[in-house]
Amino acid sequence: MTAAIQVNQISFGYGPQKPVLRQIDFAVEPGTFLAVAGPNGAGKSTLIQIMAGILRPQSGAVLLEGRNLHSYGVREQAQRIALVRQEFVPAFGFSVIETVLMARTPYYGQWGFESQEDRDLVAKALELTDTARFASRALGSLSSGERQRVFIARALAQNTPILLLDEPTSFLDLKYQAGIYDLLKSIQADMAVTVIAVTHDINLASQYCDEALLLYPLTEDSSGSTDGSGPGRPAQFRIGRTAEIFAPEEIQRAFGVHVFSGRVGTERFILPLGARAKDANPPTLRT
Amino acid sequence: MQPLTPRILLFRTVVATVLLLAIMLACALVGPQDISLKAAVSGPRDGATPGLDYEILMRVRIPRVLLAAMVGAALASSGVVFQALLRNPLADPYILGISSGAGLGAILAVIGGLSWTLWGRSPIAVFAFLGALGTVWLVWGIGRITGKYQVTGLLLAGVVVNAFFSAMIMFLVSIAKGQQLYATIFWLMGNMAEEDLFVLWVGGGSILAGLVALFFLGPQLNIISVGHQDARSIGVPVERVELAAFAISAFITAVAVSLSGLIGFVGLIVPHAVRLLFGPDHRQLLPLSGLAGAMFLVVADTIARMVVAPAQLPVGVVTAMIGGPFFLFLLIRHSRKVYWPT
Repeated sequence: MTAAIQVNQISFGYGPQKPVLRQIDFAVEPGTFLAVAGPNGAGKSTLIQIMAGILRPQSGAVLLEGRNLHSYGVREQAQRIALVRQEFVPAFGFSVIETVLMARTPYYGQWGFESQEDRDLVAKALELTDTARFASRALGSLSSGERQRVFIARALAQNTPILLLDEPTSFLDLKYQAGIYDLLKSIQADMAVTVIAVTHDINLASQYCDEALLLYPLTEDSSGSTDGSGPGRPAQFRIGRTAEIFAPEEIQRAFGVHVFSGRVGTERFILPLGARAKDANPPTLRT
Repeated sequence: MQPLTPRILLFRTVVATVLLLAIMLACALVGPQDISLKAAVSGPRDGATPGLDYEILMRVRIPRVLLAAMVGAALASSGVVFQALLRNPLADPYILGISSGAGLGAILAVIGGLSWTLWGRSPIAVFAFLGALGTVWLVWGIGRITGKYQVTGLLLAGVVVNAFFSAMIMFLVSIAKGQQLYATIFWLMGNMAEEDLFVLWVGGGSILAGLVALFFLGPQLNIISVGHQDARSIGVPVERVELAAFAISAFITAVAVSLSGLIGFVGLIVPHAVRLLFGPDHRQLLPLSGLAGAMFLVVADTIARMVVAPAQLPVGVVTAMIGGPFFLFLLIRHSRKVYWPT
């Protein structure tokens, strides 16, 4: 089976002095729910922007259904990949349904209006995300969690096999975090959509995602020619089942913070403990 | 707000057009010299020489009202486009330097004492037009370099170029002679005069063509006003649409400015007022703002030629004096409905 998205030996930097990604290489099978995690500055958002075709890798390529992403036209790509960015309030007061309808813009008729098919897709997206009941309200009058569901509805109305999300639950409270992940899981399970989400929330990702990609920040040493380890230098990332990647030792190494870990049921949870935390020195580090 | 349907759009556009025509007719009949519509239309049929009323209506009032309508429509529509492209409700057609560029061109023409004409246009208009397009091209170029996906660079470039050219305008104004000064000040405040029909045809034709072209960019402008990357990721060719919308609105603004000087406030308050009343959908916002801008400027210009008759005020004084308080009223009353970008 061809991978939904294949990232082939990608490197990227903002200018020659600031390498961010080095030889990232992995494939995502169709229907997978993948979490992309890592410390600030490790290049998570850069990676998702490269996978969405917004940034071009300096070397390597992203293959979408086996074909180089940059050989796709803007519209052709938008029929395969939808992108949800961090929740925000747009400058102008569009309503929920107006916002979701925008996903259909490239398919409007010559007079700039949607077809019945567009309306059906939008109605379905509103229903799946449970946003239909406030469809006529302005985006700015919604809570953050409701607004994020609207942006996910807009992405669903694009009717794509792949959904990319850049920190979909940042700024959301606990209930909305769980709500968004439930929604993403049902999109993956019921619609066979490949979901790839950049996240800081390792615990929710452990509960919902199949696989995880952990990125480590590049340091001057590990990226430049002064790298002592030579050709055998460690890869900048690890990918695998969530349980394996989100192991406490891995997280401690990647984030450089002491963590406490336990099990909820089958899955682990990980809690960072700084030097001044009340339980800074727990009796045992259980794994 | 329910999504827009073609029927609602058509209905509102037709109603607004009828309203505009009624206002234009009423304003054409108002003036220091009383004229009657009946006398004016029956004039030329009676005898070989048309009556005075007919002459005034056809040669003075109607061209002037048409000019005001054209300029108002152009400024309001480009205001809509600039606000969408910059994702900033405080943007107006002058924010990227068109006004100061045009002003500098106009002043150079006045001070240079040029007296030739090009297709019936004075050097002031020609220089203003070129100054406007040159400046906006410069600002757009700087904005492209400073940040591909961020509008802040573009906005700052506009502010700085505006400030720099305004300083040059002030310098030239301070060394200008009396009569030159008077002409310059009137131009800078925005001023209408009776134009000949050829100018109206060319100016009106290009503005109308621009407005029609902008209407077809309406759906794309909706998503672009949400975000550059949002537009790209749903499949809109953002760079192309942005460049087209920007070029068209800069062009019609330059045409409007070269015809009437710097008339302020129309491009800011009309889009706002229409958005507050009818919602932010650009498919509707563009035609309705164009029509409302035309109505607003026709009325403002009628006031400008009436209040100190037989002398005239620069129409920019009227638009600012009506527009300022009206805008504050709208802002206070509806501020809870407007969502400012964070």
